[in-house]
Amino acid sequence: MSLDVLSSIKDSLANLDMDKTIDFVKKAVELGFKPIDIINALADGMRVVGDRYERGEYFVSDLIVASEIFKEVMSILEPLITRVGEVVRSFGRVVIGTVEGDVHDIGKNLVITMLRANGFEVIDLGVDVPPKRFVEAVKQYKPDIVGMSALLTSTMVNMKRVIEALEKEGLRNSVKVIVGGAPITEKFAREIGADAYGENAVTAIEICKKLVEELKRAKQKHF
Amino acid sequence: MFMRPRERVILALKHEEPDRVPIDLGATSVTGIHARAYHDLRKYLGLSEKSIKIIDVEQELAEVDRDVLELFHVDVVNVNRVLEPMAPHPYIYRFASVVDGSLKEVSDREFYVWRAPYGVDVEMPKYIEIVEETDGFIAYIRGKLFGKIPRNGYYFWGLDRWKQLIPLANVKTVDDLKKFDWDSYRVPDDYVDVLGRRAGYLYKNTDYALYFGWAAVLHETIQSLRGWDRWLSDLRVRRSLAEAIIDNLFEVLKYNVEKYVDALKDFVQVIGFGDDFGTEEGPQISVQTFREFYKHRYEELFNIVKKRSKAYIFFHSCGSVYPFIKEFIDIGLDIINPVQISARGMDPEKLKKEFGEQITFWGGGVDTQHVLPLAKPDEVIEHVKKLIKIFAPGGGYVYASVHNIQPGVPPQNIVAMFKTAYEYGKYPIR
Repeated sequence: MSLDVLSSIKDSLANLDMDKTIDFVKKAVELGFKPIDIINALADGMRVVGDRYERGEYFVSDLIVASEIFKEVMSILEPLITRVGEVVRSFGRVVIGTVEGDVHDIGKNLVITMLRANGFEVIDLGVDVPPKRFVEAVKQYKPDIVGMSALLTSTMVNMKRVIEALEKEGLRNSVKVIVGGAPITEKFAREIGADAYGENAVTAIEICKKLVEELKRAKQKHF
Repeated sequence: MFMRPRERVILALKHEEPDRVPIDLGATSVTGIHARAYHDLRKYLGLSEKSIKIIDVEQELAEVDRDVLELFHVDVVNVNRVLEPMAPHPYIYRFASVVDGSLKEVSDREFYVWRAPYGVDVEMPKYIEIVEETDGFIAYIRGKLFGKIPRNGYYFWGLDRWKQLIPLANVKTVDDLKKFDWDSYRVPDDYVDVLGRRAGYLYKNTDYALYFGWAAVLHETIQSLRGWDRWLSDLRVRRSLAEAIIDNLFEVLKYNVEKYVDALKDFVQVIGFGDDFGTEEGPQISVQTFREFYKHRYEELFNIVKKRSKAYIFFHSCGSVYPFIKEFIDIGLDIINPVQISARGMDPEKLKKEFGEQITFWGGGVDTQHVLPLAKPDEVIEHVKKLIKIFAPGGGYVYASVHNIQPGVPPQNIVAMFKTAYEYGKYPIR
């Protein structure tokens, strides 16, 4: 019986049923499940959504519904988390923004939601973010990953400027950089010295998990 | 054999082979050229230097001069052209100035010079007022907030993207919708009158095929009212609200289409509708959702055109829209644009093979994400030849770039593209 609730949460999110997902989450809370277990069930559901999107069964509208359900549920759970004092294990910390001159954010926002749903802590710098603000954010938040988004061939060049700014401040090696957006390619990511290219919100999650692991290993080597 | 541009375009739309593939640069707001790219092109070609007339403020598109139309052998123009050949019928706007509150009376043919942040002197229509801020410029259209261009930007971003004004963002019930002024979308009679005169003049005094757009925009209009992503989830989780929103807008759009068609039917060969349903990787919505909300409504609008005129229906939909093409053919669509060949599933050979006899491809002339801006002219030529070889046979093809030509595209690539389209586009294609 107990595990049924968690797999019901996973399934109803995977099937994009907002009402059922909320009901099962409330039920799970009543039954005394820990927030972390509920969030993991949601993450499992998100993974199914991502798989279906990759297979062409789900579309962007479905990713948006999934992220809406997730946000609704988090607004129910968050007070619980702070009340219980439970620290939700963080897979890593990400600072993300759309580069200078560019105001497109739908893709970026989907990535943010998927990252949060998968246990990452995300600081959203918004849109039209100049290099110096990325640098300030790295100094302030000490993230594992810096994510950059651009939709235009004319603004994607600003990604290189951010990487150069991080190098200049001696911060480049303390983070992993992932880039994404319609005109971005694997080749472009390599040319500008990024660590990874994320084709869409779904593949970005797995890549970010790998990047965090890489960074941990690199940091351990220094001891 | 001398063939007039209008005949050439009509033959292509009838799925017959004219003397060569017809060419479009600048007839629509999705087959045009950014003012920066146009400025650089004119300079490269050694043409006279002049300030550039802006015909689409959001996208900063340039009106294409007659010399360039002739150089590139363009066959189709917009009825609302503001450079020769143009109809002598101005439309007067009256509005309160944002700058000083005075009552302004300006024609849509009056311009003023403005130094755009992308480094070009452009001519803005006088019904657009621009106010400078620290980080950019704000544009007002006839007294209403329109958009903002950042200091190092190339376009005026619409209000929904700046999240300043999403009018229906907080609507919860069908009743809330009554407070919105849906009539603001209704086209005024005097504007339709001027449109008809312009079309009649250009029909009688030029050989160009004539285009008018947009007759109606449905999905995208609602996205701008409700929020781009929120509307997509409305269609899945708030269906009755979604139906009500569409019903309200559709009533006005239907009215507009009837007015446009009646005014233009004897003069205009191509009437344009547009709604971006795609993304890079797939449609935004499923075919099922499309059928539930949009298919029958578009059918109704298309039937107005078909019952009252002989005009061909042009539909613009960016991105990966392969599954929708069959749906559109079902409801009588004649022309699909831009044919974004870089998007998933939009393979030229597959598209021509499956749909080539039933629909005209207007676009698909060059990959504008990777080839046109970044390749060498030789590579552009080979690439364009390949695409013409695939799309042109049997007619049903009008050559155009995939969407507007952007700043930073090397002028030599633009020249290579249109030169190849003209020379290699001669029938029969070798």
